[in-house]
Amino acid sequence: MIGRTASERAYSRNGVLFALPWLIGFSAFFAYPILASLYFSFCNFDGVRPPQWIGLGNYRELFLEDDLFFKSLGNTLFMVAFGVPTSICFGLGIALLLNQKVKGMAIYRTVYYLPSITPVVATSILWLWLLNPQAGLINLALQHLGVANPPGWLTDPAWAKPGLILMGVWGAGGGMVIYLAALQNVPAALYEAAALDGAGMVSQFRNVTLPMITPVILFNLIMGLIGSFQYFTEAYVMTHGGPEDATLFYSLHLFNKAFFDFRMGYASAMAWVLFLVTLACAVAVFKSSIKWVYYGGDLR
Amino acid sequence: MKDVKRKGRPWMRTVLTHAALVGLGCFFLLPFYWLVSTSVKPDADIFKVPPVWIPSPPHWENYPKAVEYIPFLRYTFNTLRICMVNVTGIVLSCSLVAYSLAKIKWKGRDVVFYSLIATMLLPSQVTMLPSFIIFKWLGWIGTILPLTVPAYFGTAFSIFLLRQFLMTIPNELSDAARIDGCNELQIYWRIVMPLAKPALATISLFAFVGSWNDFIGPLLYLNDDRNYTLSLGLQSFMSQHGAEWGMLMAASTLMALPIIVLFSWLKRPSFGALRQPAARSRPATTG
Amino acid sequence: MKRLTLWIGLIAIAGCGRVHTEGPVEVVYWTGWSGDEFKIQKQLVEKFNSTHPHIRVRIVCQFGNAGYEKVRIAIAGNATPDVMSTVWADELAGYAKRGVLLPLDELMARSGRSLEKEFTPGLRKSLRIDGKVYALAVTTNTSFIVYNKQIFRELGLDPDRPPRTVEELDRASDASVSMRKDGAIQRFGYVPNNLLTWVYVFGGRWYDPKADRVTANDPRNVAALKWMADYYRRFDSQAVRRFQSTFGNDATAQMPFFQGLISMWATGEWASAFLKRYAPDIEYGYFPLPIPKGGNPETTYCNGSVFVIPKASRHVREAWEFLNWLTSPEQVAYFCSKIGNVPPLLEVGDDPAFLSDPIMRFAVRLTRSEKAVGPPPIAIWPTYTREIARAEEAVLAGRRDPKVVLDNLQARMEKEYRRSKAELGQ
Repeated sequence: MIGRTASERAYSRNGVLFALPWLIGFSAFFAYPILASLYFSFCNFDGVRPPQWIGLGNYRELFLEDDLFFKSLGNTLFMVAFGVPTSICFGLGIALLLNQKVKGMAIYRTVYYLPSITPVVATSILWLWLLNPQAGLINLALQHLGVANPPGWLTDPAWAKPGLILMGVWGAGGGMVIYLAALQNVPAALYEAAALDGAGMVSQFRNVTLPMITPVILFNLIMGLIGSFQYFTEAYVMTHGGPEDATLFYSLHLFNKAFFDFRMGYASAMAWVLFLVTLACAVAVFKSSIKWVYYGGDLR
Repeated sequence: MKDVKRKGRPWMRTVLTHAALVGLGCFFLLPFYWLVSTSVKPDADIFKVPPVWIPSPPHWENYPKAVEYIPFLRYTFNTLRICMVNVTGIVLSCSLVAYSLAKIKWKGRDVVFYSLIATMLLPSQVTMLPSFIIFKWLGWIGTILPLTVPAYFGTAFSIFLLRQFLMTIPNELSDAARIDGCNELQIYWRIVMPLAKPALATISLFAFVGSWNDFIGPLLYLNDDRNYTLSLGLQSFMSQHGAEWGMLMAASTLMALPIIVLFSWLKRPSFGALRQPAARSRPATTG
Repeated sequence: MKRLTLWIGLIAIAGCGRVHTEGPVEVVYWTGWSGDEFKIQKQLVEKFNSTHPHIRVRIVCQFGNAGYEKVRIAIAGNATPDVMSTVWADELAGYAKRGVLLPLDELMARSGRSLEKEFTPGLRKSLRIDGKVYALAVTTNTSFIVYNKQIFRELGLDPDRPPRTVEELDRASDASVSMRKDGAIQRFGYVPNNLLTWVYVFGGRWYDPKADRVTANDPRNVAALKWMADYYRRFDSQAVRRFQSTFGNDATAQMPFFQGLISMWATGEWASAFLKRYAPDIEYGYFPLPIPKGGNPETTYCNGSVFVIPKASRHVREAWEFLNWLTSPEQVAYFCSKIGNVPPLLEVGDDPAFLSDPIMRFAVRLTRSEKAVGPPPIAIWPTYTREIARAEEAVLAGRRDPKVVLDNLQARMEKEYRRSKAELGQ
């Protein structure tokens, strides 16, 4: 094919025109920070005085001398591995429950959404108290159910991360909102057609619902992945990385380096390593998405 | 016949659904309930163990006290202002960009999309400083511009979400319109966007909540307490050796209310676009 | 269309809104105090503005901990105020050595101020870095132990003779411990924490200025940590951990000391205000940190916010005029008495406002002790304090060996210190 047809050129022009806000915004607000942080990662930079080039020094120190690097990465991978599936299942599950024509749906929807909008500063105390090993509600409930030695949650290195994941369940409301919007977009006619064909509830779910909402599942999967890799706030506000570094997540370690240790260059190196790891995962997910995501816009 | 058997007992399904909803619902209601009940407890009861579930009598005075302790109305106005400006910008810009990525077939589309995703992969702790320097160079430090102007150029989160939604809208309508001679802008405005209303409502909600609860942004860029937002105001209840817990909870509750109102309004059932036209154009058997 | 115009109009209005004032020189002052403490600062600022018409100080609250992070970015981005107190004493050396703060010696000399003559020993040591004064303070703090006289009496201990040695502290603490049937702790004595300060009590230190080296594994440091660890060894460390987790927040009525769940509370001068508010019925006493044989009596560690003038300050003379005023005895007395902190000025300590409250009087006495210490003047101190906390946790909760952990800490900090010195060209 030599050159492009007039319509292809028109599409190109329109494509760029519509995307212009982002293209301008990216050049103005993202390009410099991305390039700058890449540059800093090769420098000794205390965040205050001008950076000095040191080549791969930060990266070498990160991989060869920083024992907390691997520990924090491990902690974060734990959150990714267990936190992402948990939140997707809960978000989707609740959305499915709420997608039925049950009375009081509006109230239920609000109730499930509430925890994800209450400010962390206020609810972190609630969660600290709920997970309190001696007097907290969760352990009291467990003891009632006969569990002899309930976990120490945030005071026990082995149970701190599961405790945080348990807390994370409450945040499923955000994902739920997105799933609900997608579920409501599924045309009713499809369900009717499927029912006419003899499909029961489960079959309808597998063959109509699920394929139609895969674009949004992909969204939540990618965003969940990114969010888990950058998990920070709860650990910073509630546990400060303890007990015994069990909740020292990668972002928290990075933050400490950047803002306590005056080592913005080193922190930038950490950020770029995280970038590459997250990128690898995201690429894997996107590649796989060709097989399981169905975009209704194109005919199958 | 098979269907009759499967459609067996609809009421059982309803009962089970209700049971699950109520059960899980109590679990989910817990944080907010605790927030509100703490806001009406006397100071001495707030951290009591075993906890006081229903404070009686409720001490409502934390609410007027909280509103007086900080310039609550001014902060609310400031926050609202930023949020409205942001939501407008995000809806406008992200819808345009998502349309380009989802509905127009052009060469650079995938590159732009994936680089959009890539911008979210770098933790903000290291981009904070260079971003600050950009805004300093623009002379925007101390104003609300760093918090509002970028919204008009799109955010990766909203563009990504909207793009996913738009890609589920069948292309037959827009193709037909193109053949009929409509230009892209008309297709965007008259055909695609009305169908995307639930998605637009969703990104509006997230944009609003994100702006409303944003703490780092206002902290970093605002230097005049006449401009401060509610999230900064909440910090005023905490001091070096403690906090005014009752008032903090009351203020937090008040802060959550507008979001609840917005949520209920945006998610009302009649707000979605009816998909009938698209559905009719589908072949009858797709399942 | 109409709605669109309305929106555009609203946005245009929303986008505006900045007011300029001419006339007096504007001095921007950032403070990390919030809540009630901020309100008192604001009062002082207003008083200054009304008595100094040629200067207008604008006080801005940079909230709590996050504000101290904002300062980093503001310095790097060259967007600093004229004077600020959003700097912890811990961070002072880091900033000073990086050359972003203005030395105050000349300004002080011209105004007839003297760090050595006016300020308490702990501050004298920590505010002077590389020979120059880089900050002043309007507050300081102390560390000591408050105890419950009623519990002491119950246990047969003399309520008017609190522990003076660590052995006596151990005895009193162990006697106070009572357990529940299920092995959980019901009441405890002294829950050890704050290794950082205890090291000084034991005669050790974290840094040797003469030799210019970090001394994390000084044998006296190890002794201090070992002593603390023994508390956890005498009782099940998990049980102590769980008990500690119920402590919640200091500033509530449920704080264990207020509830009689611990007989001794490691605290500072703010105890007075808290006791009045949350536990007015407790009969309490107080004593300085007890010493081992050969330890330093009446040791206290002074931290807190300090006031600095950034090098990039636009109005140095006016900023100093304000700072000079704010740190003068009258203002310091007012502020400290209102917020329950102990004053850093020797002269103010004699003010009746502080002498009338027994705990305050005691705290003032402690600040004058020559054994008071502040943060060592090394740029890596914030990192160091964090690592000390981790080491403490590793030993107390993780049951690791104190010597091994401190040797480890020594190695890490030596490396950090070397790197930091190389980077700063010193």
